[in-house]
Amino acid sequence: MKRLFSIVAWVVIAALGAGALGSIALHRGEPLNATWFVVAAVCCYLVAYRLYSAFVAAKVLALDDTRATPSERHDDGRDFVPTNKWVLFGHHFAAIAGPGPLVGPTLAAQFGYLPGTLWLIAGAAFAGCVQDFVILFCSIRRDGKSVGQMAREEVSERGGFIAQLAVLAIMTILLAVIGLVVVNALKSSPWATFTLAMTIPIALLLGLYLRFVRPGRVLEASVMGVALVLFVVVAGQWVADSASWSRVFTLSGVALAFAIIAYGFAASALPVWLLLAPRDYLSAFIKAGAIFSLAAGILIVRPQVLMPPLTRFVDGTGPVFAGKIFPFCFITIACGAISGFHSLISSGTTPKMILHESHARFIGYGAMLLESFVGVMAMVAACAMPPGVYFAINSPPSVVGSAGDAAATTISGWGYPLQAQTMTDLAHKVGEITLWNRAGGAPSLAVGMAQIFSSTIGGERLLSIWYHFAIMFEALFILTVLDAGTRVGRFMVQDLGGRVWKPFGRMRWMPGVLLSSAIIVALWGYFLYQGVVDPLGGINSLWPLFGISNQLLAAVALVVATTILMKMGRLRWIWVTLLPMAWLVIITMTASYQKIFDSNPRIGFLAYANALAAQIAAGKIPDEKIGETHRLIFNQRLDAAVTGVLAAMILVLIVEALVHWYSILIRRKESVLHESPYVATRWAPDYSGAAHGDD
Amino acid sequence: MRNTVKITSGTLRRMATRIWRGLREWCGDSAYETYLRSKGTQSASCPTLTPSEFYVEQLNRRYSKPNRCC
Repeated sequence: MKRLFSIVAWVVIAALGAGALGSIALHRGEPLNATWFVVAAVCCYLVAYRLYSAFVAAKVLALDDTRATPSERHDDGRDFVPTNKWVLFGHHFAAIAGPGPLVGPTLAAQFGYLPGTLWLIAGAAFAGCVQDFVILFCSIRRDGKSVGQMAREEVSERGGFIAQLAVLAIMTILLAVIGLVVVNALKSSPWATFTLAMTIPIALLLGLYLRFVRPGRVLEASVMGVALVLFVVVAGQWVADSASWSRVFTLSGVALAFAIIAYGFAASALPVWLLLAPRDYLSAFIKAGAIFSLAAGILIVRPQVLMPPLTRFVDGTGPVFAGKIFPFCFITIACGAISGFHSLISSGTTPKMILHESHARFIGYGAMLLESFVGVMAMVAACAMPPGVYFAINSPPSVVGSAGDAAATTISGWGYPLQAQTMTDLAHKVGEITLWNRAGGAPSLAVGMAQIFSSTIGGERLLSIWYHFAIMFEALFILTVLDAGTRVGRFMVQDLGGRVWKPFGRMRWMPGVLLSSAIIVALWGYFLYQGVVDPLGGINSLWPLFGISNQLLAAVALVVATTILMKMGRLRWIWVTLLPMAWLVIITMTASYQKIFDSNPRIGFLAYANALAAQIAAGKIPDEKIGETHRLIFNQRLDAAVTGVLAAMILVLIVEALVHWYSILIRRKESVLHESPYVATRWAPDYSGAAHGDD
Repeated sequence: MRNTVKITSGTLRRMATRIWRGLREWCGDSAYETYLRSKGTQSASCPTLTPSEFYVEQLNRRYSKPNRCC
């Protein structure tokens, strides 16, 4: 009877999901209610988790709960800490959920709501969740080794080296592009700039409190910190209203870029307890609160989705970024569907804390489903505003003009009616000087979130507070990724430099610390500056580069996973990782080719460089701008070279993997699996961690 | 009836305690207590770290590898 009830319940969930998905896919005409998105996503996730992840757990990986996990065998209270599965789920989710699933879907909304939503749901279920789950499993079986170490041991030395390079590449481009998102969110906004600037002294205060007053009392310090941050969000309005203070905090894009570069250097070189860690605590609490509030807001307000399912920009002429739906939708939405960066988390802290192998399904597969849901909510928030407003916020001035009636006419001409006065009124309501040309995704997401929040609490009166709360939330945790990433990058540079000259590798040698911090900051700082001064808006060139490097890392992770499955004798199931890997290689190679060689200057880096060179040759560039244009040409060629190197790395890796697999299959090479030896667990199957009442 | 109320409030209290413990564990508030309780600490020959030493050492380890994603 119970079984029958279960079958009926799952059939109902599946039918509901299919119906909701059908509704959003086939709907035309009147705006669609956002509830359909939530129902479609949740039902698909439930079915994917219940069926596909169970299949992967049982057949493909054959999880074994009689086997002791690293946290049991090496329990040291530091790295290896047996942790309750719900707590570890929270840890893992907080680590994987960054700005990507919010910004990517917001940018991809230029194609309409449908392609991005379908990719978020299907990509997560069949690719992203599988990658996170399988890599977590592989790392658990290898005492928590990183994906780079596993690539070196299981594939080849070269595979490991490519993984290391991919991590450094993704780190550099990621930090530049998220820095650009922050610049575009804070540009000409004294309120937002003041709020974010004030989070630095708040973090320093918390750092000193946690270090000297109450060491390690994170909860009480975070409560104080969150209260102070909420206060400065409100206080930002007073700054914006004051003529003299407003001038101090109204910064240009270039000034903001240099401020962020200086901040990244300081966060990397200063002791971690002083600035980086307390900011991370603040960010974790505000991130969790804002994401749950957005989900609750969407369910309560049930906004209408005003964006059509498909826009005219599927043809590649989009104003936010240029390029056709294939492959650029799949490059733009990386996090939320599949993100290679997750493999670093799945083979980092999480495998060292997991209690039982079976928890890997809930934590690896489940946390990624939740991240995908965050992406769907971001898509809803972006698509709930009138399309004309969305394009006005996200289009660079070179495409629509810098402001006013001419830009409104251009956007209306695309079939998305907009009046210049609408933008003026909206900017006034959210407390901004202007909302035109604020590309990067953050301001449009903040407008969408503010409209949803203010419909729940406060109405239009609180729209400006909610907008700046949303901007603060996005910028705060973007900067957390930026400073943590810069520090990790610094360690990588020190590690590489230490091989050439030993003292450079010493983590406490101050000249080494300062020089390596300067090198990593200069690397991403250069791309950030280049993005800020790019007439096409920066996002157009940097976000696809970020997507390509992220998917490259995912391809590395899936090559490792496929190789391990092959060595485990699960040949009949390798399609589980092989198909997502093949898909990633196809989209990454296509996007790389188009970004380098496409003849449209808005897509191809070389075509843009050639067009600029032709303008100089034809005497169309004024003398005072020639130097600047030469720099722009150099930047485009540099971007083309970086894309080429990333594509070459993928090709080398694939060839390497194919040769390796062929050798295993024809038994020319012995299939050696580098798993830790089996040790039987001493824990009961229902043991849920010492802190949870089982001690 | 009284029994039912008693059971319910007990269950609620247990649930609240678990949530509180989970929250402390999630944000790192109870990391030092976990460290003191761990087998590794109890059997180690080197001296146990003070709360302040443990806090700094733990942060230095955590932020030396990727722990925040895009």
